Amino acid sequence: MSSFVTEVLASSGKLEKDDLACKISKLSRKVEETKEEVTDMINKKYVEFMPSMEGAEELLDQVESVSKDIDLLKSCIENEVQQNLHDAVTEYAKLKQQLEKNTAVIDLLQHLQEFDTAIEEYHRALQEKNFVVAAKQHGKARASVDALKAWKDTELPLVHSLSSEITIQRENLIYHLGEEWQKLAVWKLPSTKTELTSEKSFLKTALHLNRGGSKGDESVPHALLPSILQALSIQGELHKKIKLFGQVLFKYMLKPLILYPSLVVEVSSQPEQGAVLSLQCTETKAEHPDPSQVYTKVLTVLKTLHEHLFVIEVSPVTAKVSEILGDLIWEEMSECIIRECLVHSIPANSSQLAEYSEVIKQTEDFESSLKEMGYLAGDSTDLLKYARNINCHFASKKCQDVIVAARKLMTSEMHNTVKITPEYKLSIPKLPNPSGGEKERKESSKKSAHYDQQSLENEKQLSPNTLCLPMCRISESVQQLMELAIQTLSEVVGSSPQCAVQLFYTVRNIFHLFFYVVPTYHKDNFLKLPHLAAIQHNNCMFIAHHLLTLGFQFKPHLPLKDGVAYFVDLVPGFRRLGARCFVAQMNVQKAEMLERLSTARNFSNLDDEDNYSVASKAIRQVIHQLRRLGKVWQDVLPVNIYCKAIGTLLNTAISELINKIMMLEDISNVDGERLRTLCQTIIEEGPLVFNPLPDENKNKKYQEEVPVYVKKWMTLKEISMVLNANLQEIVDRWAEGKGPLAAEFSCNEMKSLIRALFKNTERRAAALAKITK
Amino acid sequence: MTEDILTTLKILIIGESGVGKSSLLLRFTDDTFDPEIGATIGVDFKVKTLAVDGNRAKLAIWDTAGQERFRTLTPSYYRGAQGVILVYDVTRRETFAKLDNWLNELDTYCTRNDLVKMLVGNKIDKEDHELEREEGLKFARKHSMLFIEASAKTRDGVQCAFEELVEKILQTPGLWESVNKTRGVALSELSETGQGGCGAYCSLL
Repeated sequence: MSSFVTEVLASSGKLEKDDLACKISKLSRKVEETKEEVTDMINKKYVEFMPSMEGAEELLDQVESVSKDIDLLKSCIENEVQQNLHDAVTEYAKLKQQLEKNTAVIDLLQHLQEFDTAIEEYHRALQEKNFVVAAKQHGKARASVDALKAWKDTELPLVHSLSSEITIQRENLIYHLGEEWQKLAVWKLPSTKTELTSEKSFLKTALHLNRGGSKGDESVPHALLPSILQALSIQGELHKKIKLFGQVLFKYMLKPLILYPSLVVEVSSQPEQGAVLSLQCTETKAEHPDPSQVYTKVLTVLKTLHEHLFVIEVSPVTAKVSEILGDLIWEEMSECIIRECLVHSIPANSSQLAEYSEVIKQTEDFESSLKEMGYLAGDSTDLLKYARNINCHFASKKCQDVIVAARKLMTSEMHNTVKITPEYKLSIPKLPNPSGGEKERKESSKKSAHYDQQSLENEKQLSPNTLCLPMCRISESVQQLMELAIQTLSEVVGSSPQCAVQLFYTVRNIFHLFFYVVPTYHKDNFLKLPHLAAIQHNNCMFIAHHLLTLGFQFKPHLPLKDGVAYFVDLVPGFRRLGARCFVAQMNVQKAEMLERLSTARNFSNLDDEDNYSVASKAIRQVIHQLRRLGKVWQDVLPVNIYCKAIGTLLNTAISELINKIMMLEDISNVDGERLRTLCQTIIEEGPLVFNPLPDENKNKKYQEEVPVYVKKWMTLKEISMVLNANLQEIVDRWAEGKGPLAAEFSCNEMKSLIRALFKNTERRAAALAKITK
Repeated sequence: MTEDILTTLKILIIGESGVGKSSLLLRFTDDTFDPEIGATIGVDFKVKTLAVDGNRAKLAIWDTAGQERFRTLTPSYYRGAQGVILVYDVTRRETFAKLDNWLNELDTYCTRNDLVKMLVGNKIDKEDHELEREEGLKFARKHSMLFIEASAKTRDGVQCAFEELVEKILQTPGLWESVNKTRGVALSELSETGQGGCGAYCSLL
């Protein structure tokens, strides 16, 4: 152990020495380093740095001096140069203003001068009647004044007076122009006091067209008329003047010419004077003017005007004038022509449609003449369009005519009748093949005047009378109505599709019209007159019958979708109509009959003479009523309906009588006898009222069939028998419910009748006991 | 004397126009013949009492019109009929040909389906028969009818016809008894259809 410590202690001293050496060497090294660094630093600072700093300082001085210079210069500019500039500008502005003022004044003066010259020229030209120049000069003067006015800045009193002078002169000019104009075209008009309703009042109208210049004054250098017109146009007055002229022309000359076919225009022309247009009256029967005539007349007037007024010199102005005139009056005139002339010229039949192309051509020529003369510009106008649309107009007119005709028929007397037999067929005109071409159509339309009976039957037949209308009478007017319908439908052939459709629906409307008009219009008559009610019934059935098959023949010619070319839908309505009308009359008759029977005092106590006579009379009246009815309806109603109707009415009477008898509680012998007499009266005379046919011999058959038509006939016969029978006979006829009495009466009814007829005895009781079923 | 009367029977005579229905009836009830007898209008009615097998029956006989135009009237008379005489004319085939129609009508309107039908070929007194008895018999058998040929003019077979008919009716149970079967169409069991018409007929030749 001690060695260790000693070792440590031993080494430590060495260590210390070593350590120190190390440290010192290190230190010296450090010092050397530091020395180097200082040297370096000093070097840098004094060798390198200082000169650069000096250089920088020098630069700084320089910069300062330059900036001082700049500032100096700037202030110099601001003060001096700018001031000069400003002065210069102000001066120039002043100069400019001055210049402008001068220019304006010069302008003004120039205008004034122009004005002066113009007015001078104007006055001179006016003196010389050189209207064009005058007008032009006036225009110039006006322009000057306007220019002056535009100079807003000053309100010169000069301008006011100038403008008023201009206005005055204008009026003056226009006045002169007007005067001259009036001399050229002088109107002689009918006095305004008379009403312009008839052609006579227009006879005084005359238009004198003068050439201008008075007689003998040949030295008029300028053609007056064009100059007037030009002057007017320059002044903007032309339009007004022409408008006035046009109005008078139209009202007093053109319109009457169009309206009245008897008025014609005469042109008498004198070589130097000009022409005179006057209206004259001629004899003519035409109610409405013919298009070609109208066109000729109008063209005469316009041509004359054109020649004398407007075409003295070909110049752009004259063309303009006729244009203006045309513009102004064309619309009114064409409307007038359409309304008064073309409308009436629309043909009534499609056969005349083909001929109408002539009218169209005439209209075309008319228009082209007008175009030549400059009256008309542009393409075809309303007039031509109207004429070309003839198909539409025709259809509309036709439809209207048809409806009017139909209504007339429907409101006419229905008493005139026509007999319809089962062989009756509607006559349909022969219709062309729809697939045929133009040529064929033209041919057929010419042929349509000849009616070809085309039967509606199929070739193979059941029997001639199957589904035919039975023999009866209808109104003549209804037959005519049917013919009208067919005629209208035939017009469909060859019409344009639109017209075809229109025509077809017009025919449908005819029947709708019938439906509503006839029952209302003749309402009272149908109730009052059984004859008419029967005819109306037949009319409706006739129409319904034919409507079943009407229309299909025309289907190929009708461009309707779904082939709606039929009238079948109207059929049930018509049948109902007829039935209703007839039933109403039946009710009237029934009421009358029951009323008469009600006076019979219930047929009781007929042993009283008075009662009996009253009852007897009632029965007679009833039979008389039926007989009368039978005569009225004879040959009118079809046989089966006749018998049914009379039978029903007779049945009403019989039912009433039977009911009354059944209600009687006590029937004495005399009562019974008399009742039986009354019953027998009916039984004998009742059948005799059945006379459906005019031939007496043929009616017997129907009289025998009374039991078929009168339901209560057998009952009446049985009652009649009972009234005359004894108890045994009654019981026999009852036959324990197997006899005819049991078929007509119930047990109770029978018993009550027996009780009424027979006194209350044992026999009666026994008989009553047998009344069983 | 009403005590004997067993019952009243409703008899109908039908057939084409002119076969002799009214004449048969007249012969039966009055024992007369009228060659000028006119066509029946609507319907005719007669009552006659008949004794058969010791029973007295009252017959309510309806003579109907054969003409087409009265055909609408006859159906109402079928009600409650217990016996029907269907007549044809042996000298006119068309009257025989129409028998089917008549049977049809019968079937439609009759209220009893057990009623007794008798076929009568009338006018055997005339020459030129168009129909032989065999044919009539065959037809009757086919339709379960009684059959007889007769002549109203000579009286032949007339009485017989009615008697046969009545006998058959009385033999048919439920047809004539007053226990009412007049309800119209019997909806319950079908009563026996007429047994085979191996005709009980009187042959005189």
